[in-house]
Amino acid sequence: MIALPIGAAMAPLLGTIAGLLTARARLAGMLAVAGGILCLILTATTAALVMAGRPIQSAGSLVYVDGLGSFFALTIAVVILLSSLGSLSYLAVEQRHGTLSPRRVRVYFAVFGVFATGMMGSVETANLGLLFILVEAATLASVVLVPIEGRTSGLEAGWRYVVVSSMGITMALAGTLFVFYAATGLPGSPQDHLTWAFLVRHADSLDAVSLRLGFLLAVVGYGTKVGLVPMHTWLPDAHSEAPSPASAMLSGALLNVGMYAIIRFIAIANGRFGPAYASHVLLVFGFLSVLVGALFMVRRRDFKRLFAYSSVEHMGIIAIGLGFGGLLGVYGALLHALNHSIGKCLLFLTGGSVVLAYGTRRSDHIGGVLTSLPLTGATFLIGSLAILGSPPFGLFISEFTIVRAGFAATYPALVGLFLLLLVVIFLGFFRTTSGMTLGPAEPRVTSPYVGRLERWTAHAPVLLGLGAILLLGLWVPGWLNDLLLRSVALVR
Amino acid sequence: MEHLSLASPAGIVLSLDAVLILLLALACLGSKLFDRYLTYYGLQSMLLAVAAGTAAYVEREPALWVLAGLTLVLKGVAIPEAARRLLVRRLQLKRDVVTIVGPSTSLILGAILAGFAYLVIGPQHLAQGLISASIIPISTAVILIGALAMVLRRHMVAQLLGWLIMENGVFLGGITLTASFPFIVEAGIFFDVVACFLIMLAMTTGLAESLVALSDRGRREPT
Repeated sequence: MIALPIGAAMAPLLGTIAGLLTARARLAGMLAVAGGILCLILTATTAALVMAGRPIQSAGSLVYVDGLGSFFALTIAVVILLSSLGSLSYLAVEQRHGTLSPRRVRVYFAVFGVFATGMMGSVETANLGLLFILVEAATLASVVLVPIEGRTSGLEAGWRYVVVSSMGITMALAGTLFVFYAATGLPGSPQDHLTWAFLVRHADSLDAVSLRLGFLLAVVGYGTKVGLVPMHTWLPDAHSEAPSPASAMLSGALLNVGMYAIIRFIAIANGRFGPAYASHVLLVFGFLSVLVGALFMVRRRDFKRLFAYSSVEHMGIIAIGLGFGGLLGVYGALLHALNHSIGKCLLFLTGGSVVLAYGTRRSDHIGGVLTSLPLTGATFLIGSLAILGSPPFGLFISEFTIVRAGFAATYPALVGLFLLLLVVIFLGFFRTTSGMTLGPAEPRVTSPYVGRLERWTAHAPVLLGLGAILLLGLWVPGWLNDLLLRSVALVR
Repeated sequence: MEHLSLASPAGIVLSLDAVLILLLALACLGSKLFDRYLTYYGLQSMLLAVAAGTAAYVEREPALWVLAGLTLVLKGVAIPEAARRLLVRRLQLKRDVVTIVGPSTSLILGAILAGFAYLVIGPQHLAQGLISASIIPISTAVILIGALAMVLRRHMVAQLLGWLIMENGVFLGGITLTASFPFIVEAGIFFDVVACFLIMLAMTTGLAESLVALSDRGRREPT
C-alpha cells in the first residue's frame, strides 16, 4: 500500500532523469509531462484508497496519508501536471530564442523534478521533522529555478528568497523542536513525539508553555513560506523573476505546502487550547496579508508582480477562512486552496505566453493581447476574472463560503472589511489586466509557439485549468466533497 | 537528556558550553571584519560539536557521536574555510561597512534580545535544576541574535553568517534537549543546511561576478 504514495512522490523525478539525459527542451519536457501524468494517477488512486478505508501508513508513520494529506497531494499533483505541460512549450521557445543555454535547460528540468518530489513528499508524511526536511528541500530546489533566465535582477530575487525563507524555515524548525519538547513525558517513542497524528491524539497532555511557543514559531516560520504579511517580502520578487511555469509551481503548489504545514500545527494547537487561540493568530496574519496585497495591487506595472501580490492576498483569504473556523470556514479555506492553485497556475502559464510574445512584463508596454493573440488574450482575461472571485468560477464559491463562515462566527465587522478589500483588489487588478488585453492590436506581435506540439502544450494546461475552476464553481463533485469533509474533521 | 541535572558534570559542561556559544554570537555581532566573523562562527560550531559529544556521552547514543563528528568537520572547519577561500579572499572583503547601526549599538541590541529571550522563555517556569532551564533561553537568544545580524547587516556574506548562527542556535537546543530526536531527521536537517549553504555560496559568487553592488540596500523595487 505505501508503494502508491511513495511512487506518486517519486514520479516527477522522471523530469530530473530527463534533464540529466538530454538538453533538448522538447524531449525533456515530454518526460516531465509523463512524470506529471503518472504522479496525478498515483495520487488519485491513493486518495481513492484513503477514502475507501483508513489512512495509509508505514511503520513509524514516516509515510502517512490521510484525507487532508491526499487532498493537498491532489492539488499539488494537478499543478505539477499543468506546469510541466507549460514548461515544455515555454522552455522550447526560450531555447530556440537562445535565452536559455542547453545547460540551463538541463538544470531546469533536473531541479523541477526534485522540487515537485519534495512538495509531494511533504504532504505524505506524519513526521514533523521529515515535513520540515522536505519543505526545505523543495524550497532549495525552487531557489535554483528563480534566477535561471540569467538576469541580475533574478539573482537578486533568488538571494532575497533564499535568505528570507531560510530564516523563516529555521524558525519553523525551532517551533518543531518546541512542540517535540512539549511532548516530553508522554508515552511512546521519540519518533511518536514528532508525529502529528500522535500529537493530535495526545494534545491535551502536552506542555502548554512549550506548545504555545512552538505553535507561534511554526506559524511564523511556515508563514514565511506561505507569504503571510509581514513575512512576504521575498515573494513578489521571486514569483515575478522565475520563468512563468516555475512561477506557477511556486504560487500554485509551494504556497499550499506551507499552508498545509500550518494546518497540521493548528490541529495540534486546537486539541490543547481549543479553536479560539489559533483562530486569533490566523485572523491577524490573514487580514494583514489581504490588506497589504490590496494596497500593492493598485497601479502595479509589472503584471507578474501583480499576480504575486494576488497570491499574498489569496493566502491571506485562506488564513482568514481557517481563522473564522467551524465547518464552513475550514471547508471554504481548503476549497479556496484548491481553486487558487488551479487559477493562479493557469494565469501564470497564460501570462508566460504573453511574456514570450511581447518580451516584457510591464503592463503599460503590453496592449491588445485579445486581438493579437486571441486565445491567450481570452484566457488571460477570463483567468483574471476567475482569480478575482467572479461567478461562476470556483473562487467565488470558496470566498462566499468563507464570508458565510464569518457571519456564522459572528464577526460581521470583519466580514465587511473583507468584502471592502476584495472590491479594492478587483478594481486594482482588473484595471491592469483589462488594459493589457483590450485595446488595439500591436502589429509586431505574433504567437511565440512554432509547431503543433508547442501550441498544444502551451494552451492545453490553460484551457484544462479554466475548465476545472469553471466546473468547481458550478458543482463540487461528491467525492471531492467527501474528501473535504473528512479533511475538515481532521482540523477541527 | 531532558532529565539531566544542572549540577552533574555533564550539565556543568553543557551550560558552560552554551554560555560560550552565546558569547561568540555576540562577538560576531560586535565585530566588523569578515575574517573574524568566520573565525567566531568556526569556534562556535566547534563548541556545538562539544555539546553534541557531551550529549552522545550521556545518552550513550552512537548516532549522536556521528552528528558531533559531522558538526566538527563540516560546520567547524569546512564551511568557514570554504567561505574564507571562496568569498572573503576571492572577493577581497575586509570590513563590513554596510550596516544599519554601528557595532556598539548592535551589541546593545543583542544584549537586549538575550534578555528578551529569558523574559519570553521564563526559565523560572521550567522544571528547576534541570539542564533545560539553562539551555532553552540561551539557544533562543542565539537564534534571535543571528536573526538580528541578518536584519542589521546588508552585506550578503554577513547575512549568510547571520543565518548560520541562527541555525547553530536551533541545533544547540535540538542536540542538547532532545537528544532522543530521531537520527534520520537530524541528519536530514543537517544536509539541508549544507545544501542551503552551497546554494547561498553559489548565488553570492554569481551576484558578485555580475558586478552588482553587493549591498541590496540601494535596490529599488520595480513597480
